[in-house]
Amino acid sequence: MTLHSIDKSVSRAGRSRRLNASFVITVFAGSVLALLVFLALFADWISPYDPLQQNLIDAMQGPSAVHWLGTDDLGRDVLSRLIHGCRIAVIAAAEATSIALILGVPLGLFIGYRGGWWDWIVMRLVEAVVSIPGIMVAIVIIAILGTGLHRAMIALGILFSTSFLRLARGVVLAEREEVYVRSARVVGASDSRILLRHIFPNIAPPLIVQITLTVGAVLLAEAGLSFIGLGVQPPNASWGTMLNSAASYMDLDWFLAVPPGIAIIATVLSVNLLGDVIRDAIGRGIAVKVKPETPAARFDAVVPAASTAGATLPEREDDVLRVEGLQVMISSRDGEEVPVITDLSLGIAKGETLGLVGESGSGKTLTGLSILGLIGAGGRTTHGSIMLNGKELRSLTERQMEQVRGNEVAMVFQDPTTSLNPAFTVGNQIAEVLRTKKGFSQKDAWDRVIELIDRVGIPRPEERAKAYPHELSGGMAQRIAIARALSCNPSLLIADEPTTALDVTVQQEILDLFRDLQDEFGMAILFVTHDLAVAADICDRISVMYAGEVVEMAEVDGLFSAPRHPYTRGLLSAMPHASDRNPPLPTIRGSVPRPGSWPAGCRFSNRCDFRTGSCDQRIPLAGTERLVRCVRAGELEREGAR
Amino acid sequence: MLRLVIQRLLALIPLLFIVSVLTFSFTSLLPSDPVDLIIGDTGTHEQYEMVRERLGLNEPVVGRYFKWLGKAAQGDLGTSFFNSVSVTGAVMQRLPVTLSLTAVSACIAVVVGLAAGIVAALRPRSWVDRFATIGATIGQAIPNFWFGLILVAIFAVNLRWFPATGFTPLSASPWDWLRSVTLPAVALGLASSAAIARQVRSAMVGVLQQDYIRAARAQGLPARRVIYKHALTNALVPVVAVLSFQITVLLGGALIVEQVFAINGLGTLAITAVRQQDIPMIQGLVLVMVALVVIVQLATDVIYGLLNPKARPS
Repeated sequence: MTLHSIDKSVSRAGRSRRLNASFVITVFAGSVLALLVFLALFADWISPYDPLQQNLIDAMQGPSAVHWLGTDDLGRDVLSRLIHGCRIAVIAAAEATSIALILGVPLGLFIGYRGGWWDWIVMRLVEAVVSIPGIMVAIVIIAILGTGLHRAMIALGILFSTSFLRLARGVVLAEREEVYVRSARVVGASDSRILLRHIFPNIAPPLIVQITLTVGAVLLAEAGLSFIGLGVQPPNASWGTMLNSAASYMDLDWFLAVPPGIAIIATVLSVNLLGDVIRDAIGRGIAVKVKPETPAARFDAVVPAASTAGATLPEREDDVLRVEGLQVMISSRDGEEVPVITDLSLGIAKGETLGLVGESGSGKTLTGLSILGLIGAGGRTTHGSIMLNGKELRSLTERQMEQVRGNEVAMVFQDPTTSLNPAFTVGNQIAEVLRTKKGFSQKDAWDRVIELIDRVGIPRPEERAKAYPHELSGGMAQRIAIARALSCNPSLLIADEPTTALDVTVQQEILDLFRDLQDEFGMAILFVTHDLAVAADICDRISVMYAGEVVEMAEVDGLFSAPRHPYTRGLLSAMPHASDRNPPLPTIRGSVPRPGSWPAGCRFSNRCDFRTGSCDQRIPLAGTERLVRCVRAGELEREGAR
Repeated sequence: MLRLVIQRLLALIPLLFIVSVLTFSFTSLLPSDPVDLIIGDTGTHEQYEMVRERLGLNEPVVGRYFKWLGKAAQGDLGTSFFNSVSVTGAVMQRLPVTLSLTAVSACIAVVVGLAAGIVAALRPRSWVDRFATIGATIGQAIPNFWFGLILVAIFAVNLRWFPATGFTPLSASPWDWLRSVTLPAVALGLASSAAIARQVRSAMVGVLQQDYIRAARAQGLPARRVIYKHALTNALVPVVAVLSFQITVLLGGALIVEQVFAINGLGTLAITAVRQQDIPMIQGLVLVMVALVVIVQLATDVIYGLLNPKARPS
């Protein structure tokens, strides 16, 4: 679909922007952490004072030229204590994370590989540990080991080993059954060799992410434990103990709490940010350096205004929908707007079915959505008029448009299993429309729901109304979606590939249902499809779309017997016939050019066998009853008639 | 739904059993002898033997465990080594304190997290979104106890809007309870709000791109209704799973935040017990905490089932 290709280009723009942002983040976080390690290594030389040197006369001094960050309750220099705190933070993070890694990974690899009782017992123990709040686990272990930095870090190491264990086990379970591992076993590699050489490398990427997460968590936990007096013990300077002593003097000198707090936040933030960047990088397959794509040739006439349109659509008395000169733009990479639909005109009369046919990426779905005013963020209709029941939809406010949707125009989507809300029963979803749009009472709405579900040919409607979407088959869900679309009796129904996601046997039933319902309700149908056989079956007239514009419009019979546009001809000859078993099926070479890289003249010219020099200019849609956008349409028709 | 509840309650029994074995065997490994701590350096050999006998430490570990387990099953978690206080009594006395702190902070985390996450998701890449995302990232890096200290400095010491320390039970005075619980709950809930906001945002952005949202809009349902009924109901499914984990984190965090505000809850009890190597108290605390966590998980499972019809046992 067009939308997908646009999403892709938009997301590429987003990615390059994110790449820049992640570069800035990496530099920031990297410098903070480098500074931390530097201060930790050279704390003795850098810090202006001895962190333990008390000076009660100068206690609780604010920042000054002598003591840049002031002094604490015992007159010790806060800056020096902060710098020495870096050392404790680095030791704490390194110690606890290494212990967690050394305990967790081998054990996880082992039980994952071995399975059986080992796995069962260890996993039950891990579950038990995980169900206790982490800090409580640490407190219990400290109760056994005693307080102090190293013991507290052993406690945290044991605590966080559970996450490494589960990660390693998960990877082994996933990899164990992979073909390459099994073949290594067949050729007689030993278990330890298989674990080391074949499985371990797969753990590395998630392990790196887990390490950053753990380092951040360890830093916070260490500070917390030291703060409550179970970690680093005074008088040693750690950020947690500094906050502990600051806590007693919040009413006298709250500034004491600021430097260690900022230090903790800056460090943890840097580690977390770095972790996010690494995770994103791994998510993209570590393609950190994306080669910028060579920009596609822009087509110069950015806005082929409606004035280039040649023939106008023949006006008909009973037109329900009349679209003229529609142009839709979508903002793409660099925020630049790219046209995705240009100079599109079509009309549908009461009780008529117009097929909108074309390859993926030609703009069919977007046409339907722009009629509803639901193109979504980043897109807008820039030119043209959309008249529904004599009302210009483009001039309506969003509120008025809400009134129109459902009541006058409704849409059935391609995949019924995703277009129904999984959280509510199907009856509820139809009833909701009746209540909000028509003001039905709860009971009246429900009665009508049952009628509608019955009408779209679902047996036992009372029962089915109470089903959730996932409990229904695709065909049945599509019937429900149709019932919902028709619940307010709209004069126009937009059906976007409504049979594409269904089984072939169900397709025909749904097409028959559309025909029956049209006979009964008399609505006009805009039937979007890429399948010419389906279009031939259900449509009265067909508009062929290519690269955002209509290239041919005709009655079904005329179009199929004598196509005038080379693209239509290509589509028809690429259509498989049940009777025609002569391989190979002809195809149209190339693919639909992406929006933004359309040729300046005829957009089909680079795939066309009939191309001439005059194809490089804009070509208007020409004709009276039948419309075609090709300079050689006349010749082609004569050739076709021969 | 009832079957799910019963299933989870039955699963609770083996879990509590394993946790009890784990804590009992771990706490029996204490390197220092609690008896020495009790009688002090001046105690005689007779006193030592007497205390050991009184505490039942002469029996083999396995025998002691089953004796303790039998009583624990009846709600008696034993007696503190130090002041002959019943562990059940001490824990139950402090439980409402820690629970109200955890519950209020969970409410704050949910409300703030939902609001920030939804606002950010509705306008992806707008300045509101960037502000919320950056705020959430920083919020997760701020230690709860430090945030508590800063809140005290601003709102208790300077502005005097809230008391700096202490806790008033809800039953004593609802108004004073609210005043005493506000600052610690905000301090505790910050990081969880951030975590929930991030989750809500990503879930909501994902759901808003779903076909059924576009289909509901195409049906002419008002935008607000589509966002708050159709999208949010689905976005909440993954959020509930995060919430369950966050409540466990909050319960642990409460132990530390209590210290900032001198609140006499389970945290104070636990820290004192660790310092005194009060084994029965530690065991009892761990068991009660696990029970709380499992109840929370059960509740979130039920909500999960209500929100997500596919998760319901049919």
